[in-house]
Amino acid sequence: MGANASQLEKEIGSEQFPTNEHYFGLVNFGNTCYSNSVLQALYFCKPFREKVLEYKMKNKRSKETLLTCLADLFHNITTQKKKVGTIAPKKFIARLKKEKEEFDNYMQQDAHEFLNFLINHISEIITAERHQTNNSATPTTNGKVQNSKDPCNGSASLKFDGSNGSMTSTGNHESTWVHEIFQGILTSETRCLNCETVSNKEEDFFDLQVDVDQNTSITHCLRTFSSTETLCTDNKFKCDVCSSYQEAQKCMRVKKLPLILALHLKRFKYVEQYNRHIKVSHRVVFPLELRLFNTSEECPDRLYDLVAVVVHCGSGPNRGHYISIVKSHDFWLLFDDDIVDKIDPSALEDFYGLTSDVQKASETGYILFYQSRDTS
Amino acid sequence: MAGQTDLNSGSVSGNSSRDDVRTHFTTREGVYKLITLAEYSRANRLSGYTAIQSQQGAALGQGSNPPVRVTFVSLPSDPSGYCDRICFNYGRELYFYTYKGTKKPADLSKPVDKRIYKGTSPTCHDINKLTISSESVMLLVGFTGGQIQLVDPIRKEIGKLYNEERIIEKTKVTCIKWLPGSPNLFLVSHVSGQMYLYSEDVTCGGPAPPTYQLFKQGAGFSVWTCKAKSTRNPIYRWVIGNGAINDFAFSPCSKYLAVVSQDGCLRVLNYDAMELIGLATSFFGGLLCVCWSPDGQLVVAGGEDDLVTVWSFQQKRIVARGQGHRSWITVVAFDPFTTLYSSQSSSSKSLSKEGVDTSVTSNGTGGIDGEVETKSSSDIATCYRLGSIAMDTQLCLWELTDDVLKQPYGSRSRASMVSGPGSPPSSLKFTGQTPISGDRSSSSSSNNVVTITPVNNLTVSPAPSSATATPVNAAGSLTQRLANMTFSDRKSGQQQEAAATDLKSHRKNFSLGSGRNSTSDRSANPSLVTGCADPLRLIGTQACPRLDEIPMLEPLVCKKVSHERLTALIFREDCLITACQDGIVCTWARPIGPSPHHTSTSTPTNEGTMV
Repeated sequence: MGANASQLEKEIGSEQFPTNEHYFGLVNFGNTCYSNSVLQALYFCKPFREKVLEYKMKNKRSKETLLTCLADLFHNITTQKKKVGTIAPKKFIARLKKEKEEFDNYMQQDAHEFLNFLINHISEIITAERHQTNNSATPTTNGKVQNSKDPCNGSASLKFDGSNGSMTSTGNHESTWVHEIFQGILTSETRCLNCETVSNKEEDFFDLQVDVDQNTSITHCLRTFSSTETLCTDNKFKCDVCSSYQEAQKCMRVKKLPLILALHLKRFKYVEQYNRHIKVSHRVVFPLELRLFNTSEECPDRLYDLVAVVVHCGSGPNRGHYISIVKSHDFWLLFDDDIVDKIDPSALEDFYGLTSDVQKASETGYILFYQSRDTS
Repeated sequence: MAGQTDLNSGSVSGNSSRDDVRTHFTTREGVYKLITLAEYSRANRLSGYTAIQSQQGAALGQGSNPPVRVTFVSLPSDPSGYCDRICFNYGRELYFYTYKGTKKPADLSKPVDKRIYKGTSPTCHDINKLTISSESVMLLVGFTGGQIQLVDPIRKEIGKLYNEERIIEKTKVTCIKWLPGSPNLFLVSHVSGQMYLYSEDVTCGGPAPPTYQLFKQGAGFSVWTCKAKSTRNPIYRWVIGNGAINDFAFSPCSKYLAVVSQDGCLRVLNYDAMELIGLATSFFGGLLCVCWSPDGQLVVAGGEDDLVTVWSFQQKRIVARGQGHRSWITVVAFDPFTTLYSSQSSSSKSLSKEGVDTSVTSNGTGGIDGEVETKSSSDIATCYRLGSIAMDTQLCLWELTDDVLKQPYGSRSRASMVSGPGSPPSSLKFTGQTPISGDRSSSSSSNNVVTITPVNNLTVSPAPSSATATPVNAAGSLTQRLANMTFSDRKSGQQQEAAATDLKSHRKNFSLGSGRNSTSDRSANPSLVTGCADPLRLIGTQACPRLDEIPMLEPLVCKKVSHERLTALIFREDCLITACQDGIVCTWARPIGPSPHHTSTSTPTNEGTMV
């Protein structure tokens, strides 16, 4: 471990080593790589890291939440004397297991589900704390953060949309810095094929879920995401004008692009034949630079740079391993729990997926983090 | 992965059966058929040993074999009657076979030459067209380690090595080409973003790395010479853009060089003068491949934005993009045999070296409003046929028609081209709201005005032609727009030629011409002035137009032709050649019967090439 760390330092070179940057591996506490990989990716999403550290600075209250644990962890990394090394995110994992019982075991978890939970939960904590502060004229000793409900205002009712597993935040939520970073707006345009009325529905998102096709690019997957879908048979559209269920055409476009665009590749598909989820290892290439085609007319254009990739290694959702690849300054690093390696950007090619449909273990990009260029 | 063989890809699950691999496809001229007997690949690839070996390769993560590239050469004579030779790389191997065309089966048991390398893999190759004889060819091979080898696969001589100790360059060779018309000079590009000119007969120097001296500098590139007592390799070092140089191509007239890089830039350079004469960028991401149209009028690039980008040499701007691929585009190539030409004397034979042959006869007048005449050349294409292949395993064929390519910039009319067979050539029918459509169609008779290219005309230097920037929609009237197309007069042309050696005034020549109004400046190409390739700043300019500012083309044909991602595409007179990552080189016979350009010179029909 120590040898590895010093080797990384040597490899980067003391002159090239960015000042005020630390590369610390995270200890695995038994199948916690799903958390480690996501935390590393988020740490290297600069706007997110800055906000978390800012929270740490501002927030002096002692009560422990998942956010304070995260802030402590990030703070711990940034204040290390050494440039490289290993840290045990013990407190964070312990808190995580308390917060959500699904994570309270030693089983492999889905990195995307964890990310989804984390982002929503942080935003809930911030909103709740903001309300506490507002109500602090009448001092309350509110108990658990996640139970705090504001009676006057629907509060932040962020929910996990079970239908497609996307991180959606619905309701009249308040905007937090989490929203400023990750939230975009989707607009779905539905045209009733009976009365031709077009209705628009807007939906916030924290990430986009894309289906993966063999030998395609992420650009293509995003375009398919926005391709026109015909709602028919069991899935008809309830048209307000016709006052009945009608066939309709639906098209999803991005109305507002987020600062950090998180793309979740739907690599775990339920296959009835096997009665379980299988991994789809299709080769999906992702460029270092990205622009979206599927934006609506009024959406301002953004040019994105790839900053982090959570990679799933293995043959299925409940086995295998998660690692992450991040861009820091001008080089790429691979975080594999406590191991950190500098890699050549051309090595990203190894994580596009397999062109063969034969089932075998693969190392494939699973969550991509793109950061808008105007912010860096 | 890449190391996979045909055996593996044969066992594709039902998932991809919905778009089965095609063995034929149809265009206007007829049916293209896959000739299974003319399939070239590594020798004995179906042996069990091979399959096991390549599975191991994939398991070991060696899946990133270099793309399979194909080089053809035609020998002056051969006793067997088969003069064509095919060369391709696969993994660490390089094969050189007799190519027997579409009628005779490939004999894979007897390669003319076969080489297996250790520790490094061939990435690209090129054969010197000037020095070919029946007994000898000069085959250059570039490698993943940056080395270069010159071999003669006929004499089977162990050739010379360049950059053997990797002292000059350590990164992968991305493209290697003999300089057109040179028996001994060749150009090599690398992942490092550098490109070297080597001389075949010159030493690479000793163990000491070369020291360089700045020779010439331009916007976004610099040229260095090697400081040495005696001539040594590299003769020149070019540093171009940010990041890897992925591909380069010489214009048909050999004078210009188009270079595409990972920074997303297409740079068109006057090779000898070492001047940047044009710059455009991808919509996003790196550009991976580039080619010239047979008449030198268009440069086409493809890349990580899944788009085909068409750049006009004469207008110095992106004139169209094409959307049809589902992944990154690996090769673009024009089909000179189905491209249609305006003059009846056109034939595929006339394409060869001449390239752009148009000359401007009205120098000195400033040539506006129809005063410009063109000496009609046989080489101006009216309907280009372009092919592209991508990692999506699909082959796309595109038609680039005059009327699409000559749409004014930023017309914001995603025009649907509806001109039927009876409509006059090149007349534009805008369905959009462009205010100048009337002017446009009335000027269709004098359409040649905009087809002039100053390429071979020495009195018009390239620099001012970059000032003949294109009209924008804001520049209302036709005269105003034509005024922007003014060719520089003889005097300034000479001045600029004289000044070309002077670095300072040379930079001045990159200015975009005076007398342009502010609206046109907005959309002009600032990159040539500033050398700035920052995509954010180029978005919305002619170097990187927004998608609604230029026509978006759809492919004529888009077919899945392979199980693996495609890596090579070559148009030959009687067939087209595709190769894929697992080392299979396929031959597609062209439709039988006369091809359109022999029988018809009429207006190309627009088969829905527009969105």
